[in-house]
Amino acid sequence: MTSATYSDALARYADFRKTPAGMDLALMVVGALTGAVGLAYVFYNLMEQGHAAFNTSSDMAWGAPIAFYLFFLLTSSGLSIVASLDSVFGLHVFYPVAKRAVFLSLICLIAGFSILALEIGRPFRMLWSLPFSFQVRSPMWWMGVLYSIDLVLLFVKFYLIHVGDWHSRLSHFVAKLSFVVCILAPGTLGLVFGMMAMRPAWYSNIMPMYFILTGFATAVSFLLFFTSLLPRDKTTAPNVDHLYHEILPRLFFVVLLAVMGMRAGQVITGLWSNYEGMEANWLELSSPFFWIEIIAGLLIPTALMVSDRIRRAPMIQFVAASLFNIGIFCARLEFLIIGQKVPLFKGYWAGYVEYWPSMTEWMLIPAGCGVFLLLYGAGNWLLRLSETEFVENGRS
Amino acid sequence: MPRWGMVIDLEKCTGCQACTAACQMENCRLPGEMWQDVLFYSEGEYPSGKLTWLPRPCMHCENPSCVAVCPTGAAYKAENGAVLIDWERCIGCKYCMIACPYGVRFYAEEKQKTQPDIRDVFPAKGDKVWDPPYKMPEQVQDPKHGVGVQPKNVVSKCTFCYHRTSKAPTGLKDLDPNDPATRKFTPACVVTCAPGARYFGDLDNPESNVRKLIAEKRGTRLLDQTGNRPQVYYLAGEAPVIPETRSVRKPKQSPET
Repeated sequence: MTSATYSDALARYADFRKTPAGMDLALMVVGALTGAVGLAYVFYNLMEQGHAAFNTSSDMAWGAPIAFYLFFLLTSSGLSIVASLDSVFGLHVFYPVAKRAVFLSLICLIAGFSILALEIGRPFRMLWSLPFSFQVRSPMWWMGVLYSIDLVLLFVKFYLIHVGDWHSRLSHFVAKLSFVVCILAPGTLGLVFGMMAMRPAWYSNIMPMYFILTGFATAVSFLLFFTSLLPRDKTTAPNVDHLYHEILPRLFFVVLLAVMGMRAGQVITGLWSNYEGMEANWLELSSPFFWIEIIAGLLIPTALMVSDRIRRAPMIQFVAASLFNIGIFCARLEFLIIGQKVPLFKGYWAGYVEYWPSMTEWMLIPAGCGVFLLLYGAGNWLLRLSETEFVENGRS
Repeated sequence: MPRWGMVIDLEKCTGCQACTAACQMENCRLPGEMWQDVLFYSEGEYPSGKLTWLPRPCMHCENPSCVAVCPTGAAYKAENGAVLIDWERCIGCKYCMIACPYGVRFYAEEKQKTQPDIRDVFPAKGDKVWDPPYKMPEQVQDPKHGVGVQPKNVVSKCTFCYHRTSKAPTGLKDLDPNDPATRKFTPACVVTCAPGARYFGDLDNPESNVRKLIAEKRGTRLLDQTGNRPQVYYLAGEAPVIPETRSVRKPKQSPET
C-alpha cells in the first residue's frame, strides 16, 4: 500500500487535509499557549518540591486538584448521559449534539484522569495495584473500575458514531450500557464522600444524586458554551437551530433550578444542624468560593435563563454557561473544604483547618483548560463533531 | 496469635509527651508528624479554668474504616491485631486519611510546619523521604509493615511498634516494660512512659493485665459510636477527662470567648 493510499484511508477518519481556521484555530492556539504555560509551571514545581508544592496537608488531605478531578469526571458522565438520551429514552432532539457530547465527554475524562495522576502519590503503581486488589468494600475501588469501563465505552461509542453507525444494535447497546455506567460511576464517586460517617458535612445518602445532577448540569452548560461558539446562520438545519435556541437553554434553566433546590436543602440542613463537624457549614458562609458558587454560579445564570427571548442569544448562553462553570468549580472546591474543615481529633488547641490553594494548584486551571481547549479545537477541526445522523441521511 | 491492645490510665498520665518524643525517635518521624500525639483541652475561666489532655496513638481498630476504604489493599489488619500500611502497595490516594475518625494517618509530602525543612537538612537517599541522623538499622526497617524511614508519596501511621511486638515469643499475655524478658518487645511509647500510665497486652487472653484493667476500671474507647471498636482503651477513673467528641469548638465559657 502506498503512502497516498494510507493518506486516503486516514482521511476517511480525520479531515487533516482541511486547514484549521476561525474558532477552531483560535481554540487550539489559545489552548496550546495556556496549556503549555500551566503545565510547565506545574511540572517544574512538582519536580522541585514534590507534592509539597500543593497546600494540602495531613489535615486537608484533598484540595484543589481533587476539585478539578471531580469537575471533569462528573461533567464527563453528564455529557455521556446526554449522548445516550436517544438510545435510552428515544429523545432524537439531542442528535445534533450527540457526537460533540461524546467527544467532550471523552476529553473531560482524560483531563480528569490526568489531573488525578498529578495529585496521587504513586500514579504508576495505581495501574497495577488498584485493578488486581479487588477491594470490593472500597467505594474508590468501584469508582476506578466504573470509570475505566466508562473510558472504554466512550472510545467505542465515539468510534461507532464517527464511522456513521448510529442505529445498529451494537451502537444502541453500547449507548445504553454507557448510560448505565454513567449513572453508576458519578453515583459511586458520590459514595466516596457520602459514606464517610466520620465526616458529617459529607455524610449523606443524597450525595450520589447530587453528583449525578450537578454533573448533568455542567454537561448541559458545556454544550451550551461550545454550541454558542459555533456559527449560526440561515443555513443551519431547523432541528439544530431548535436544539441550540430552544431546547438546550431551556434544559439548562430547568437543571439550574434543580441544582438550586438541592443546594438550598444542603445549606439549610447544614446551618440548622448542631451536630459535631457540621459547624463547617457556618464557616462556609465566610468563604469566597461559596458566594461565587451561589451568586455567579447559580443566581446570575438562572436570571439570564429565565426569559425565553433572552436565553436564545448565543452571547447570553456563553456568559451564563461560563459563569456556571466557574461557580461549580468553586462549589467542588468548597465541598472538599467543608468536609475537612473541622479536624478529626486534634484537641481544642488545633483550631479549624485553614486551606487556600497554592500557586501550583491554581496553575492547574490554565494547564487543564488549555489542554482541554486544544483537544476540543483539534476535534472540531478533524473529527466532524457537528455531524448528525439526520444530516447524513438527508432527513434534516 | 495474640491480639495486642493498649490501655492508657488517664489518672496516671501527666501529659509530659515523652511518649510522643519516644515514638518520633523510634520510628524516624519528621518533626510535627506525630503518630503518638497528646491532645489538649482547656475549659472554663480563671480561677476555675481546667486543662486536660489525652494521649492519642492509632486506635488499631477491630473494624477499621481506613482498611475498608483502601482501594489497593495497602492498609490491612495484621495477624497480631495491628492496623498497618504496606508501603509497597500504597498509592498515596489519602482516602484512609479521610476515613480515619481519629486523624492518626499522615502524608509527609506537605509544607513543613518548622523551618528549615528537615528534609533539606538531611536529604534522602533514593526513594526515602529523608535520611534522619537517628534511625533504626536497615535490617529492622520493613516497608511491607510500614516500619522505618518511609518512601516518598505514601501514607504512614503508628504500627504499635510492629518491629518489636512481632518478635515477641508466643504465649505472652502482656508485654511489660518492667519485665526484662518482655521489655524489648514492648512499644516505645509504653517503655518510655515515666508514670507508667500505659499497659500493653493480649486482649484475647482473659488472664492478661490489660483485660483485667479494662474490666475492673471500666475501660472505655474513643468515639465508640463509630463502630470501629478501638483496641486502645482509656481508664478515666473519677475524672471525666475523655472527650466525647472530636470538637475543636470551645465551650462558651472558655477564656478566649
